[in-house]
Amino acid sequence: MKNTLRQVFHSPKFVIGFVIFAALLLTTIIYPIIVTADPLEMVGNGNFFKPGTYVSVKDSVEGTRYTLNVDVKAGSLDSKISAEDKESMKEWLTKFGGVAEADINLEDTEGLIALWEANYSEDADQPGLTASRKKYFVRLNKNIDGVLLDSDVIIAQKDPETGELVESATIGSKEFVNTKDVANKKTFILGTDNFGRDVLTELVDATKTSLRVGLIAGIIATLIGLFLGLISGYMGGVVDDLIMFITNMFTVIPSFVLLILISYSVGQNARGVNLVGIIIGLTSWTWTTRSVRSQVISLRNRDHVNLSKLSGHSMMRIVLTDILPYLASYVVMAFILQISSGILSEAQLSMLGLGPSTSNAATLGLMMNWATAYAAPLNGSWWAYFPVVVTIALIAFSLNLMNTGLDQVFNPQLRD
Amino acid sequence: MKSRSRRLVALFATMAMTASLLAGCGGGDTPAATTDNAATTDDAAATDDAATTDDAAATDDAAATDDTAAADNTGAAADTNSTPRNETLYFAGQQWGTINDWNPFSTNSNNPMCVQQKDSSRTLIYETMFMFNMLDGQLYPLLATEWSWNDDAMTGMTVKLNPDAHWSDGTPLTANDVAYTWDCNVKYESSLGLDFSNYIAAITAVDDATVNIECKLDDAGNPANPLKVQQLLQQMYVMQKAYLETVEGRNNSDKEAMKLDKMDDLVASGPYLPFFDDDQKIVFIRDENYWGQAASMWGKLPAPKYIAHVIYADNNAGQIAMEAGDVDVAQQFTTDVQKLWEEKNLPITTYIDEPPYGECATMPTCFMNVEKPGLDQVEVRKAIAMATDFDQIIASAMSNQSPTFTQVPRSTMNPTAGEQAMYDHDAVKDLQFAGNDIDGANALLDEAGIVDTDGDGIREYNGTPLSFKAECPDGWTDWMASLEIVASSAKKIGIDIQTFFPDTNTFYDDITTGNFEICMNSPSGSSITNPWGRCMQFMSSQYADLAVNWSGNWSKYRNDEADEIMAKIPLETDEAKLKEYYTRLNEIYLTDVPSFALMYRPELFYIVNESVWTGYPMKDDGSNIPPTDCTDGYGIAALYNLTLVE
Repeated sequence: MKNTLRQVFHSPKFVIGFVIFAALLLTTIIYPIIVTADPLEMVGNGNFFKPGTYVSVKDSVEGTRYTLNVDVKAGSLDSKISAEDKESMKEWLTKFGGVAEADINLEDTEGLIALWEANYSEDADQPGLTASRKKYFVRLNKNIDGVLLDSDVIIAQKDPETGELVESATIGSKEFVNTKDVANKKTFILGTDNFGRDVLTELVDATKTSLRVGLIAGIIATLIGLFLGLISGYMGGVVDDLIMFITNMFTVIPSFVLLILISYSVGQNARGVNLVGIIIGLTSWTWTTRSVRSQVISLRNRDHVNLSKLSGHSMMRIVLTDILPYLASYVVMAFILQISSGILSEAQLSMLGLGPSTSNAATLGLMMNWATAYAAPLNGSWWAYFPVVVTIALIAFSLNLMNTGLDQVFNPQLRD
Repeated sequence: MKSRSRRLVALFATMAMTASLLAGCGGGDTPAATTDNAATTDDAAATDDAATTDDAAATDDAAATDDTAAADNTGAAADTNSTPRNETLYFAGQQWGTINDWNPFSTNSNNPMCVQQKDSSRTLIYETMFMFNMLDGQLYPLLATEWSWNDDAMTGMTVKLNPDAHWSDGTPLTANDVAYTWDCNVKYESSLGLDFSNYIAAITAVDDATVNIECKLDDAGNPANPLKVQQLLQQMYVMQKAYLETVEGRNNSDKEAMKLDKMDDLVASGPYLPFFDDDQKIVFIRDENYWGQAASMWGKLPAPKYIAHVIYADNNAGQIAMEAGDVDVAQQFTTDVQKLWEEKNLPITTYIDEPPYGECATMPTCFMNVEKPGLDQVEVRKAIAMATDFDQIIASAMSNQSPTFTQVPRSTMNPTAGEQAMYDHDAVKDLQFAGNDIDGANALLDEAGIVDTDGDGIREYNGTPLSFKAECPDGWTDWMASLEIVASSAKKIGIDIQTFFPDTNTFYDDITTGNFEICMNSPSGSSITNPWGRCMQFMSSQYADLAVNWSGNWSKYRNDEADEIMAKIPLETDEAKLKEYYTRLNEIYLTDVPSFALMYRPELFYIVNESVWTGYPMKDDGSNIPPTDCTDGYGIAALYNLTLVE
């Protein structure tokens, strides 16, 4: 046993797979200890907030301020007006503003803005301009309005009795806050999803759920497969015929179709995480049965089995002590694959809306489902689906790698 | 051996998913097309081969280049299917699936681009007598020029037809056509005929240009409902008598056969006629002899020579085409629609440049079946409503395309200024609930003695745990997301709500037969009969008793006082009195909470791409044309203002 383990951990493939899988598993255990927030809590009031740290505006206004001698004007000008904007401003000014093209110098941003502020009018007659273009100029105008002015921003509070605005503070253009001083802030490493939930926290929880589904499915499928395979292979005869008849029937029907039908008929009410795992397990045991059976058939006429039979050992004992150990390596490998395919099946089911319900659990498939429903791939919100895809890929990849590694150790033909 | 092939399949599936989604990280057209197929790849991952993905991507690419390429898609029919881009106005989001008939009597028509008799009827091919303008609530002349009541009691109505109106075959459109259309609607029991024959006794031709509508009277001699009579003017398509007789002839005047007739040889009066249709695309062509070019109507023909609607697989496909400039007017819910112009810099815009981006006229509502134990308790209903996080629904499920309930407090009125002015906001102020009020909802339930006695986190009423199923059709993502938010809010007050998303047919079976606990549905939007009609849909016991209920009040709520008021409203013309009635109705509605609105919503989404056409109606442009996608009600006036982009 010790020797086998050593061999196994000498297989580089197995080790890589094991490390990835262990890392994922550890993350799902450790992360919730550090971040205790409810993964289903809808924090963001909107769709797909991008990754980053969000600091409270009120806190930053009220917090300690530092004056830094930095040219803020250039920075904010660049962020507010792109080269394309400048070209558009020039176009508008020459077409509708009555400014000669020679008077406009695109290099001189401040001069351009001054010209713009002097000549642009929302209500000007703009023949031939589309509504979307007109609105673009209105937005642009709003955006650069007052950008040249160096005046302070005034913070005012409403007097609760008179309703008048009372000036409480001013903010100069060179004042900064240290983000460490801001009490209320929230970091979304992977942004938020369409419900405004923290994607990273949800992803970790979903990975945990998926691993659980995979494990439940894997255990059930392997146990059923092993049990039926052992009985049918060892006993033979009518029992074998009967079991193989059932197995063949289940093999012929595509298991995913079966999965969809069962999930649909169970209904969303009852479809918890565990039940989905059980359903997947119940539909994916057939290949394990077939393989175990064929191996048992080849084992049952070996000398040591015959000796045991002659010694009058019970069937149970023979199967457990003389046959099962020879299958153990295969069963472990099959189990790993069952986990992997269970996780993928859950993802597929949830993508179809047949997985656990959204308000009860986060799963990888559900995250993908909602991201697609709210067109995350179309509006560039990569954080809502890409990390999910990577996680699914990593789980499947690591499990398959472990399986290949084991195969090389246990299968003499593949041994180096 | 199997283990290896399974391994390969699993690996392939993962790689395919990763690859297709990796591509989605870039920008521009290609990734969009690829990611759209991600769903396909995933669904079929276990058995998929690369060919499927490639094919689908190729189709999308073709659709995304330009209309000639799109036309090539359909191959053989290229001649009729290829229309010059600068003469064609492309739509998306109005038509799903192949059209099956052109028959306004049909009960299973799938041809919304042509046949859509509703509050603002679609008048591209068939026309109504008047057009409804949701912006000012007025009727605008189309086939008829004016209408008036025959007497103060409103027992009859006279409608004058436009003498210039004629059919696509050149024959004049007369009062006989109107009368015969009505007779056929009644005789063949179209849904319009069944509905309106409760209010209209007969429609007759006085002379060629004058129609008389005789109202149904009750025992006291009052008209059954003058509002509904006005509604007919904007809702009923006028059809040609001669053509109807032809159709009757070939169907032996059989009721069922009449409803199943395809009517693809139609004679109509509208500005467009059918030109081409298959499972990929529908095209209408302008009738160059359209009567509306007379000075008494539009004075000219609509600008686009062709109206085309490519049939897209889903919203995402439609959005990709819209971003590529292959769609001019999209009736589609689009997440973060402002990103299209703010981040992607596309020449796309909506009716309003800032949230809620459109003119909201309806409010998808959560109906609670008051006949179910638990939901028969007003405290339970009110608690669910109080706990629901409406701001979250509006910001995330609806992507901010709705005013909030702080901006427009909830009532039986839609958010248009006209309806909002029709009740006293202050009188019901104390009955309002802002939502996300977990403490308040908990207190309300505790006070009512509805508590969790067995410690499982779910409250019980009469020993039964409060556990309900909330349903809406599968695929209606914003509704599904809304119900998920309702469920997660209810969880916080110890009420278990499970979401259930059946297919659309099952959903309608469930709600029309009362086989549901909580469901989501939209009451009617802007109409000449509203807000009266909407109050009926929230509270009328008349609907609660229907065995199969398509009309409203799915909550099966009953209140005698409300019934009484709602019976009086159609006969009342005094505005002060009406305001009093509506205020009282809202008091009842907000006290008993048989249902509660989850968000406001435009009747039609209206997103326009100005890469080919411009001149679409926009808010505050002074045109008074409603943003009904250039097709519905008075919104069709937009077609006459369109110009090509320079």
